[in-house]
Amino acid sequence: MREASFKIPDGKLVKVKLKVSSGKITELKILGDFFLHPEEVIMKIEEELVGAQHDLVLLQTIIDEVLNNEEATLIGASSSDIAKTIIMAWDSK
Amino acid sequence: MDEFRFIDLQVHNAFMNMAIDEAIMLDIKEGRATPTLRFYRWNPSAVSIGTFQGMTDEVDVDFCDSKGIDYIRRITGGGAVYHDYEGEVTYSIIMPRNHKLTRADILESYRILCGGIIKALEYLDIQGEFKPINDVNVDGKKVSGNAMTRRLGCVLQHGTVLLDLDVNLMFRILKVPQEKISDKMISDVKERVTSIRDVLERDVTIDELKVALENGFADALDIKLVAGDLSEEERATANRLAQEKYSSRDWNFSR
Repeated sequence: MREASFKIPDGKLVKVKLKVSSGKITELKILGDFFLHPEEVIMKIEEELVGAQHDLVLLQTIIDEVLNNEEATLIGASSSDIAKTIIMAWDSK
Repeated sequence: MDEFRFIDLQVHNAFMNMAIDEAIMLDIKEGRATPTLRFYRWNPSAVSIGTFQGMTDEVDVDFCDSKGIDYIRRITGGGAVYHDYEGEVTYSIIMPRNHKLTRADILESYRILCGGIIKALEYLDIQGEFKPINDVNVDGKKVSGNAMTRRLGCVLQHGTVLLDLDVNLMFRILKVPQEKISDKMISDVKERVTSIRDVLERDVTIDELKVALENGFADALDIKLVAGDLSEEERATANRLAQEKYSSRDWNFSR
């Protein structure tokens, strides 16, 4: 598992654990002390990110689409913070 | 004036405390229970983690096991909190989503409901302020952390008010690499977190805090608190949830 944490200035902490194979995400967990309403949407975001490639804008778009479709609200972290943390985890070691 | 059922300070273990919150939500959803404010303590002392946190990422479970400290995942987001039996009072406020005290805007909802804590602090001669997203601060230091969820047709906010603070114990329970715990970190935490006893420099009792919170919520939210208890149904649901969900490894270690 690759892993990275990102403490958002004046915000919450986002932590990402992921596995990558052939340039694509095969497994991913988003953890942290942020808020997301409804909470279950986190699993949907994680599912939709599986298969995604190393592309900050694309990752953020996927997250935003799920948030829109599910009428979900992130608080204390943004889709861009999560996308950034995914890239950080991807680039670790 | 709106009436809230008031379940005065009770003591339960972690699993029952979190199960009671969900049982009340389920009963409100079914239209059986009225909006509710409850106060409670945790025995044994316990650490709760936010719903998106990893248990073993946040908590030294071996240390907790050796000390008889429970650990539990909440249904709310936010961070890890140590609920010391002697050192804090926890509250939950639960109401239907269409209640007039709820707002579509989540920050605004926190601000309104945290008003109860700020008023309680005022009754203890402490000036507190809402610190978005979900804290109440005194002199820039956190004295209360809060977390909200909106599900089952309800808004639930629960939170803790610190009466006392043992930073060294907190660092043993929460997973901070031990070698990284320097005196500097401990003093940093003391710059960011405080407790009512620290602020007032006297031995404020649990009961004194509890009464202040009761009056604080009633006055700030302009609600009438009507003494009550869990219904038989809620109790049965809570017992089931405590056993099947909140004490299960599946739930607590799901992340």
